[in-house]
Amino acid sequence: MNSLSDGPKAEAITVVLVEDDAPTLWRLQDALAKAGYQVRAAGTLAEARACLAQGAPKVLLTDLQLPDGHGVDLIRETRRRFPDTEIMVISILGDEESVISAITVGATGYLLKDAFPTDIAATVRDLVAGHSPISASIARFIVRRTQSTPEPPPGPVLNTTKLTPREIDILWGIAKGFSYAEIASHLGLSRQTVPGHIKSIYRKLEVHTRGEAVFEAVQQGLIKL
Amino acid sequence: MNGHGDDVQPELPGRARRRLRSSRLTQYLLLQVVIAVAGVAVLLQSLPGPPAQYQLTAFQLTEAGAERAVTLPYFSLLRNAMTDPPHFRGHFIRPAGEAARAWSVFLPRFTNGVEVTVNDVVILDSRRDPAANRPDRNTPAIAVIPASVLRDGDNAISIRLFIWGPITGFLDRVWVGPDEALRPTYNLRTLVFVTLPVVFSSWQAILAVILGIMWVMRRHEPAYGVLAAAMAVGVGQAFLQTPMGETPFSRFNVILISSAPLESALVLVFALLLSGWKWQRYAWIIFIPGIALALAGLFGNQALVRALFLILAVPMVGISLLIMAVVTARSALQRQNVASFLLGCAVTIMLTCWIVDLLSVFQMMPNRIFTARLSYSAMLVAIGAGLTWRFARALNQVDGFAGRLVTQVREAEEKLKASFAREEERARAAALARERTRLMRDLHDGLGGQLVSIVALSERGNGSAGIGDAARAALKDLRLVIDSMDDIGGDLMLALGSWRERAMAQLRPHDIALDWRAVTAQGLPVHPELRPWHVIQIVRLLDEAVTNAVKHAKARRITVRIETLAGADGLERGCITVEDDGRGFEIAPDGGAAGAAKTARGLRNMRSRAARCGAELELSSCAQGTNKGTRVRLTLPHRFPDSDGAAG
Repeated sequence: MNSLSDGPKAEAITVVLVEDDAPTLWRLQDALAKAGYQVRAAGTLAEARACLAQGAPKVLLTDLQLPDGHGVDLIRETRRRFPDTEIMVISILGDEESVISAITVGATGYLLKDAFPTDIAATVRDLVAGHSPISASIARFIVRRTQSTPEPPPGPVLNTTKLTPREIDILWGIAKGFSYAEIASHLGLSRQTVPGHIKSIYRKLEVHTRGEAVFEAVQQGLIKL
Repeated sequence: MNGHGDDVQPELPGRARRRLRSSRLTQYLLLQVVIAVAGVAVLLQSLPGPPAQYQLTAFQLTEAGAERAVTLPYFSLLRNAMTDPPHFRGHFIRPAGEAARAWSVFLPRFTNGVEVTVNDVVILDSRRDPAANRPDRNTPAIAVIPASVLRDGDNAISIRLFIWGPITGFLDRVWVGPDEALRPTYNLRTLVFVTLPVVFSSWQAILAVILGIMWVMRRHEPAYGVLAAAMAVGVGQAFLQTPMGETPFSRFNVILISSAPLESALVLVFALLLSGWKWQRYAWIIFIPGIALALAGLFGNQALVRALFLILAVPMVGISLLIMAVVTARSALQRQNVASFLLGCAVTIMLTCWIVDLLSVFQMMPNRIFTARLSYSAMLVAIGAGLTWRFARALNQVDGFAGRLVTQVREAEEKLKASFAREEERARAAALARERTRLMRDLHDGLGGQLVSIVALSERGNGSAGIGDAARAALKDLRLVIDSMDDIGGDLMLALGSWRERAMAQLRPHDIALDWRAVTAQGLPVHPELRPWHVIQIVRLLDEAVTNAVKHAKARRITVRIETLAGADGLERGCITVEDDGRGFEIAPDGGAAGAAKTARGLRNMRSRAARCGAELELSSCAQGTNKGTRVRLTLPHRFPDSDGAAG
């Protein structure tokens, strides 16, 4: 997530940007356009669907609170229709309440609305390169959920049962602020394999279908048959 | 004892109380008089006898060498006549045709022993029956006359009356007739004067055991022990009979004659103790008659013992009964106590019987039936009833006490629950208020100031870059506040992880490198007592250090070192060091920065934040040389303080 080396120019990369606040939309659009991305902007859920109808984008950046609906629905639809599209949430605070619910429907990390233009471009570039970013606070939230507690913790529901011990170790490292290199050396991994693990974590946290959601709920004992 | 009376009626004035007391006394005395009169009336009733046609009353008596005609019942004046006993000679007619029926001689009452001869054949010697030898028992005697001895028509009967004291001799009327006509009367007398006393003695034995157990379990109530001893003496007296003739044990057995004064003394002590009297040393005199009699029995001869019995035992019993009558009356009146009342009635019955017995001994009664010993059963019944009453009342009190206790415990529990709920509610409200205060202060410290500066910048109109910085700082602070609310389980490393991200985002535009070094493997120790406000203070302090490095020191590289140090006291302490390679500054003697006022204020802020968390802050700065730059070293406390006391 902090690989800031100048990569190749991303001329053909299309980004669908969904944000209802016009100044924020301009700001993000400018940052991405300057980095060479082809941006299709939308202010509402309907506009976003129209943009998606034109074809699969490489990246979808979406706000969650939209005037005519919720970004989570858009993420779910996109994930189903275009499995190859990388999806990211645009968040004001990066709080787990909104980010985790987006992750469970298929988003990969989040982008802060006030991030510096260079950081915005770098994040999208890493995303396209297959490096799924994960913040310390989100990693912390996930690993706290892997610890058993007597009563269900507040906040969004998250199923962490599929995570391997190694993946949980990686999340601990990230939550404590260690870099990928430090985590890799601690765990005896190659530094290059860490982003792959993180991608895998995202996929495992994703709840794909209604049926799977029910299945997992049964597995976790949330529903009794 | 007066105290008990006062307790019963504490609210009555003296006169009313006296009147109540005298009216109660009158009632009680009247009742005792009625009991005594009824007792005398019953005692005057003679027991039913066999048909009068078989009664023999006319005898020729040879007594002390003189011969004369007497009519039974006969009171002898002799107290001791063993070698030359009074000899009664008489005749009876057996009608012809009675040979098929058994005939008997029936002697309802005699003192002390009889030998009956019919037609010169001895058919009965009562001296061989230990029960019959006791003058205090009204043991009857019956003997079937062997058929071979009897003749049709006139038959001779002679009775020798042996007398060995302590009272004078006596021979009641004699019946000679068909056994079936005499037997029912004999059986009735045996039932009343032999069987019933045995039943009561058994009852006494049971009482002795019950009272003994009660005394063993309740040593602080000697009354039960004394009564148990009395019962035991009574049982021994009843079942260990005095045999006639000198057996090796007769001297030992003669002690039993002292049982009456001993038993009455013990019962008297019991009555006194029951009425609330405390044992005094002089009270031993109560036992002197009994002990003197026992010693006389051991060392003197039987004649002496019998003589002493009359002057020691009989008055002792009477005096004991009189004292008990007074004591129990007083106790019954003052305490309104069923046990004392029953005992008082029993004492009245016994006293009546004792007086009648005394009159009988002095030949003032037509007959000689002793009932004092029998009436003692009334006292045994009263004692049993009184004990049961006390036991039941004690059980009721225990039940009542247990019930009250249960109610009280339940009430206390409910009160406690209510106060606990109140306390919990109050604590929750207080926690909420504290959290709100903290949140307000944190937002005020950070976000408030930044928003104000955004307002100021926007009013100036030309500081668009400044507005951006201020707004970004405000957002950063908002994220910090929200982040700090998250439960990190006391692991400060989790908070520092987020801080690292924010610091890197802050440093990236300035092109300053952040060197992050976790020197020890686990980073910092875990602090279960860590609270969100501690986290905010530490993160703000670190922010301050980084901001100083960016704004004032013109640093190129910032190094953050995280380690756990083992202190001199053996306790582990976390340590965070922020070091830059900037210009450094001179540190004033007071610890503040000499120079820029803004830097000075920043340092003061850092010190105050460290103090609030109980952490130590060490600042060193060097303006020149190879290791120039500023170093902020924060040593965390072993235990974070609970309250924000140092905040002021």
